[in-house]
Amino acid sequence: MTQNLQIELTGVDKHYGGFHALKDINLSIPNGSFVALVGPSGCGKSTLLRSIAGLESITGGVMKITDEVVNDMPPRRRDVAMVFQSYALYPHMKVIDNLTYSLRLKKTPKAQARKMAEEVAATIGLETLLDRYPRELSGGQRQRVAMGRAIVRRPKVFLFDEPLSNLDASLRVHMRKEIRALHDRLGATSVYVTHDQIEAMTMADHVVVLRAGVIEQQGAPLDLYDRPASKFVAGFIGSPAMNFIPGRTNGDGTSVDLALDGQPTLRLGRPAAANQDVIVGLRPEHLSMASTGDNNFAVRVGVIESTGSTTYVGAGDRNDITVVLSDRRNISVGDRVQLAIDPDKVHLFDPITEAAL
Amino acid sequence: MTRNMNRLYLALAIIFALVYLFPLYWMYVTAIKSGSEIFSYPPTFVPTDPQWGVFAHVWEIRDMGRFIWNSLVIATGTMVLVATLGTGCAYVLARYRNGWINLALFLVLMLQVLPASLMVTPLFVGFSALGLLDYPRFAVILAVTAKAMPFFVILVRATFMAVPAELEEAALVDGNSRIGAFWSVVLPLARNGVLVSAILIFMQAFGEFVYSKSIIQDVSLQPASVGLNAFMGPNTVEWNNIMAYASIYVTPILAAFVLLQQRIVAGLTSGALK
Ligand SMILES: Nc1ncnc2c1ncn2[C@@H]1O[C@H](COP(=O)(O)OP(=O)(O)OP(=O)(O)O)[C@@H](O)[C@H]1O
Ligand SMILES: [Mg+2]
Repeated sequence: MTQNLQIELTGVDKHYGGFHALKDINLSIPNGSFVALVGPSGCGKSTLLRSIAGLESITGGVMKITDEVVNDMPPRRRDVAMVFQSYALYPHMKVIDNLTYSLRLKKTPKAQARKMAEEVAATIGLETLLDRYPRELSGGQRQRVAMGRAIVRRPKVFLFDEPLSNLDASLRVHMRKEIRALHDRLGATSVYVTHDQIEAMTMADHVVVLRAGVIEQQGAPLDLYDRPASKFVAGFIGSPAMNFIPGRTNGDGTSVDLALDGQPTLRLGRPAAANQDVIVGLRPEHLSMASTGDNNFAVRVGVIESTGSTTYVGAGDRNDITVVLSDRRNISVGDRVQLAIDPDKVHLFDPITEAAL
Repeated sequence: MTRNMNRLYLALAIIFALVYLFPLYWMYVTAIKSGSEIFSYPPTFVPTDPQWGVFAHVWEIRDMGRFIWNSLVIATGTMVLVATLGTGCAYVLARYRNGWINLALFLVLMLQVLPASLMVTPLFVGFSALGLLDYPRFAVILAVTAKAMPFFVILVRATFMAVPAELEEAALVDGNSRIGAFWSVVLPLARNGVLVSAILIFMQAFGEFVYSKSIIQDVSLQPASVGLNAFMGPNTVEWNNIMAYASIYVTPILAAFVLLQQRIVAGLTSGALK
């Protein structure tokens, strides 16, 4: 009951023939936590999730669920529930039968199974739809049935594979909160795959960033935001993406010259190695437009986009320096403006290895 | 412009259908003509004096009940055997993809190419060696099963491929075994395709001739196709009786096809879902 680790992966590898899809994955998921797997398309998120479900067999390493090695255990004995991106509702069964499918397999008495399904249906707003077939439901309703089918089993682990990607934007925001609330209420352990870093940041306790089958970095969402371990993570987490500007540190390593018009210099929060080429990372929301003040550099405004609440400014020689402003400014295209940044918020990356410095 | 084209196509389709169906019409019409009307020139397209009694007469003199029964035994046996063996085979060929599967598929297609008249001699020798010729209807069922299997497997495989693998995976995660997932999710969704293919096999076996003719010597065990052939001696003039025989033989199959045709077409084209 009180084991702390629900899922533990040690050195997990997955090969598809000659293709190495997962490389030395080490991941510990504590009981009750919500873990998000993020990364660009094709990085192996689904493969990792399906390996945990038992739908793919891993080719190396050890996978444990509640202290039991499950490497060769078929999915039905792992006690995990999965919500598929396509929902995978059984088209020939009514909603109620979709919900009770797993209970019937466990030989739950019919009346009891029905009662459990009705309870779950009530919590997620499906009570009136029980006698419909999946084809008679909207996308959002199907999504709920898929959730309900997972919940009704009270599994040890929930696995979600991009469950919200087929919904419209506002429903997505709503379901985000609802899924997290359900997770908290059920006290379950959840692994959630998404390519949307905002979903990952807002829902998860622990975010795992995958790239080409390798875990690039994992940690609490704000840790990844504040201390990205590599340029890849820095660019992936946060929206709009971090600005990257080539530069070179000065003789004493306390400041950096940017490769921009006029070679402006920025002070650094922490000293870095002297006289080395670096990539400077500046988050758009950390840049402020200050005509005076210190630690600033001048750029030319090239693009202004405003959504009303937020203004996005594209500046610099190729308009590739993004600035996010939450107040309205009297600026226009062609102006030269000063951008200032707190020295502690300047990130440096190695131009070759892309590791954070 | 396109309206006129559509009409043209429709007219062409009707003409082709008429040409194609004419022999069928001629069969029915000839059956109820009197002996002299059959040979009258020019031929009559609508019989002047329909002889409705011919069907009962032919049924009686040719002992057709027995022939039709044998045809039914062979067709049913073949359908059951093909469906039970072929469904599993089609499923495996649909789900697992690798070089060996491609080879198996190639061999299956290859079997389809070989004509029955070529296969019958080795089969006859083989069956004789195994003593199967003592149960000739069963031997024919085996032979026709082998012949019809590729067709069934290829049709049903396409149906299974239309069932998304994720549905099956959902069933596995929900706690089912592979076999359980197959029975409770895949098969119900592929049901139409399997049923339709089985019916087509039934119809094919119901009209089978080459194997039955060579393997079944005992008249009392022969199917209607062989009976019809025996009826058509070299000097026969009983065209009306022969046509009546043929009518009795094909009408049930035709009727079944017409009744089921919507499901058959749907089952073959749309796959299993939606
Ligand atoms: N059955 C398979 N055989 C061979 N390669 C596969 C197979 N399944 C996935 N792959 C490869 O493994 C890699 C990871 O695939 P995966 O589906 O896990 O990506 P993903 O991160 O989920 O991407 P997406 O965000 O597009 O869903 C991809 O390069 C893919 O081509
Ligand atoms: Mg995926």
